[in-house]
Amino acid sequence: MQTFLQIIANGLMLGGLFAIVAVGLTLIFGIVKVVNFAHGEFLMVGMYLTFLLTTGLGVHPYATAVAVIPILFVLGAVTQRLLIQPLMQARDEHIQIFATVGLSTALINLALLIFGADIANTPNYGVRSQIEIGPVRILEGQLWIFLAAILLVIGLQLFLARTNTGRAIRATAQNRAAARLMGINDRFIYVLTFGIGAACVGFGSALIAPLYPTSPTIGTYFVLIAFVIVVLGGLGSIPGAFFGALIIGLVDALSGFYIGSDLREAVVFGIFLVILILKPSGLFGTRVSQSHVSP
Amino acid sequence: MRLSSIMATAATAALLAGSAAADVKFGALYPFSGQLALLGEESARGVEIAVEEFNANGGVQGEEITLVRGDAVDNNQAIGEARRLIAREGVKAILGTYSSSRSIAASQVAELSGIPYFELGAVADEVTGRDLQYLYRTNPTAEDMGRMSVQMIVDEIAPALGKDPSEVRVGIIHEDSSYGTSVAGHQERFGEEAGLQIATVQGYPASTVDMSSLVLDLQGRDVDVVMQTSYQNDSVLFLQQANESGFKLGAIIGGGGGYSMVPTAEAVGTDVIEGVLDVDFTQYTVDPAYAPGMEDFVETYREKYGEEPRSGHSLNNYVGAMAIFAAIDGAESFEPEAIVEAVEQIDIPEGETAAGYGIQFGENNQNERAKMMGMQWQDGKLVTVYPAEAATSEMKIGQ
Repeated sequence: MQTFLQIIANGLMLGGLFAIVAVGLTLIFGIVKVVNFAHGEFLMVGMYLTFLLTTGLGVHPYATAVAVIPILFVLGAVTQRLLIQPLMQARDEHIQIFATVGLSTALINLALLIFGADIANTPNYGVRSQIEIGPVRILEGQLWIFLAAILLVIGLQLFLARTNTGRAIRATAQNRAAARLMGINDRFIYVLTFGIGAACVGFGSALIAPLYPTSPTIGTYFVLIAFVIVVLGGLGSIPGAFFGALIIGLVDALSGFYIGSDLREAVVFGIFLVILILKPSGLFGTRVSQSHVSP
Repeated sequence: MRLSSIMATAATAALLAGSAAADVKFGALYPFSGQLALLGEESARGVEIAVEEFNANGGVQGEEITLVRGDAVDNNQAIGEARRLIAREGVKAILGTYSSSRSIAASQVAELSGIPYFELGAVADEVTGRDLQYLYRTNPTAEDMGRMSVQMIVDEIAPALGKDPSEVRVGIIHEDSSYGTSVAGHQERFGEEAGLQIATVQGYPASTVDMSSLVLDLQGRDVDVVMQTSYQNDSVLFLQQANESGFKLGAIIGGGGGYSMVPTAEAVGTDVIEGVLDVDFTQYTVDPAYAPGMEDFVETYREKYGEEPRSGHSLNNYVGAMAIFAAIDGAESFEPEAIVEAVEQIDIPEGETAAGYGIQFGENNQNERAKMMGMQWQDGKLVTVYPAEAATSEMKIGQ
């Protein structure tokens, strides 16, 4: 029984970790309608920034979020403005996808050039210490990530639902042409949304860096599972990404123990397929808007 | 007609004369750029030092060696560069390659051209055993890694735990690419032969971000020893998560890259990695009496490159290249058949090379005397602890 509870706890913590990476991705995916393959590399950039600031200034890694979040926001906004936006006129929208693949490869190799293939260790300032909750033990840092993921999801939901900018973002996502007719600057909204999506992963990277060694390819470890979560939760649904992440985290932990670590990916993707067959729009998904196709 | 044949003869004679006066060329085929560049370059430095040493003593067969570099950045380029080295540069043999997949690709080109190919660093089983006539390998392999880790359990760990080898419960975990899978397969086979209780063999993807389920599983199986074949990220993850879940093990034996590197120790902390064992190529903490020439090698390395060797790869490539050049020096000519005949005669006993292990080619042209070394993290340093004749420190188990 104790082992079972521990596995559940591990699964939830893993889910929190996946959620904090996937939230920004679902925002970009659902609103800008761009499959951002460089999302994992945004995480990598954020983790290296956290590493450099923590070791350079001697501050707690969480404190670096103050700088990492704005830098990632700018990185995301610039990506949209300089890379994606010019390609929106292209006849085939898939070109944007290839552009993000190119950006991903370029960022990985840039990191290899600057930092080398070796791992970089962010000092953890005690967030690797254990806390016991009833019969289970988890790391302090894992709990912070989990709580931060919940806060991020609630915060984003409130922002999208209650503010004028948030409403404009949703309107653009629902029908770009109609939003333009209402006087919404859709290009600005896209740049803003891409920036916010990248800033979310910047927030996550400040929390993740003290727990995981940073390497140029660290983003690739997260990005595939993040895509699964985003599709599972429903494209663009922020609560969907959160609960999708928890489901994937739990399935991963349970199958890793009861079925075998070599088969857990098979189980995760098997369940993913079953859910998609039963509910093709994802758990929290709504009908996919095609308005981005209109001029 | 007669005139043209005279001219052809004259041209051939001129070519022959030219080649006799020129240096003899050998190819150095390594990944010098891309992801594997760091250790590819490190490996090639070993060959460069061997070349320098031979040239200082009059070269091979009286001719100065020129080393021509080929950049095997991926499998396709490995093939292209092997062709270039053979056809355009006219190398007499190729030395390489660090990466197993590139070695497998490039050695086929050399085989078709009938040019000897000497592998000094790639560990995959499949490099040899493909019935290639001109491929020889000097370094130890995945099989040697499996054998060595099981020997350590039988000879040292089981007695230190106060158990008979048949009472030792072993968990084998590995990253699930061909590298981890083949080492784990050998560990299982040698372990069963030695009568160990193999509790479980489990693979996982190297890109995993969580190993807590695997740790719980191993805990539930009550294992004494865990053997892990891994890269860096997963080594760090396993050591951290095993430690944090309070998993007490008799011994952890790591295999390969991740476990030998200082950044790994820094990532998990010197107190956590203390006592962790590691099977890998000979490193620089081996007993100098067992590896004569190792200290001179390090000194030459420092002078030539202005830094400490970054890993044992240069040393192992140096040892292989020295043996190959020495054999070629004694060959009758640089013809492929003469080179092959000469390297077949190599007979260097254990304890007489700078890496400790001896060299003699056996079945499949694999060096039968090649050996991995057993090492242990002690006080933040990786020291050699097994076999006894190579050790600089005692193995510490259960302390």
